[in-house]
Amino acid sequence: MTDPGWAKHLADILRRNGIRMFATVPDYIVSHVLEHLTADAECRVVTVTREEEGVGLLSGAWLGGRRGALLMQNSGLGNSVNALASLNVASQIPIVLVLSHRGDLGEFNPAQVPMGQAAGPILDALGIRWIKPSSVAELEAQGDGLVKLAYTRRLPVAVLLPPELTGGKQG
Amino acid sequence: MSATLTRTAATRLLAERLADEVVVTNLGQASLELQQLADRPLNCYIFGSMGQCSSVGLGIALARPDVRVVCLDGDGSLLMNLGSLCTIATQAPKNYALVIWDNEVHQTTGGQPTATAARSNLAAIARGAGVDKAMEARTEDELRGAYDRILSEEGPFVVSVKIAIGRTEGRLDRDVVGFTRRFVQALAAR
Repeated sequence: MTDPGWAKHLADILRRNGIRMFATVPDYIVSHVLEHLTADAECRVVTVTREEEGVGLLSGAWLGGRRGALLMQNSGLGNSVNALASLNVASQIPIVLVLSHRGDLGEFNPAQVPMGQAAGPILDALGIRWIKPSSVAELEAQGDGLVKLAYTRRLPVAVLLPPELTGGKQG
Repeated sequence: MSATLTRTAATRLLAERLADEVVVTNLGQASLELQQLADRPLNCYIFGSMGQCSSVGLGIALARPDVRVVCLDGDGSLLMNLGSLCTIATQAPKNYALVIWDNEVHQTTGGQPTATAARSNLAAIARGAGVDKAMEARTEDELRGAYDRILSEEGPFVVSVKIAIGRTEGRLDRDVVGFTRRFVQALAAR
């Protein structure tokens, strides 16, 4: 059984690590996290038109002294690859990526599968450290450390949200 | 109608007026021009990520509402990220201006025409996206007027500057990490 409290745990991890600026192209799964963030007057959530735009915006926010996280589906990782590589990795600008992991266990939509299977290898190829917690306990055990690493190393990090954690999306 | 303003002249006119504003510059010619004419710690040069200049500047403007942010983008690059105009309009930061060097070609790659050489108009697209203060500048007088506004009035602004085709000579200093750290420190101290 998945713990329906996973989304609040994730929102709390981001907030207690000083992240107040968020960009998103929403999907069904990350919308549960967004609920907590949009209800928080201290957080600013910017809906962008394409995920790559969110990478640029949050990179600017970090240059201006504010930490940011980008919430999206793993399809958005594909839309963001060049900016992550030639802006964040090249210039050493940290951001936190939160990716709902479609296209893996239990997927009902064939169009989601290729990008879902490619997400981990793409992050590896960019040198972006990532975790894929399958339970709230794992999320709590690894989340703070992952966010801390982003700012120590000055590079992006990613949290993949698998259906074991979130319950996934039923077709 | 062919443009007579040059990017060099247009950049110099801006540089003369700068005080403690942040200037974010697009990869290639925009960065090279500003680096050669007026290198300063509050310049944020972008060396890659074509299309992202306006978005990086928007993020800085949202993070630091106390600082005026001017982006110097190119027509080819902005055409790659037109959605940014919608986000600029929606977020509506008062301290933000996007200036586009519109020479109607992809200058760095050999001068292939962009959509603005045909029928597309970036100021009109910006107005359609919801940026009310969107304008075009074709002469030095119009450009001076636009600079006066973006450096004193509340934005957001989008200014499409019609400039002549032409490459600037010289070589961009690409100490990517060094310039990024210098900018972060300068802005934090501002």
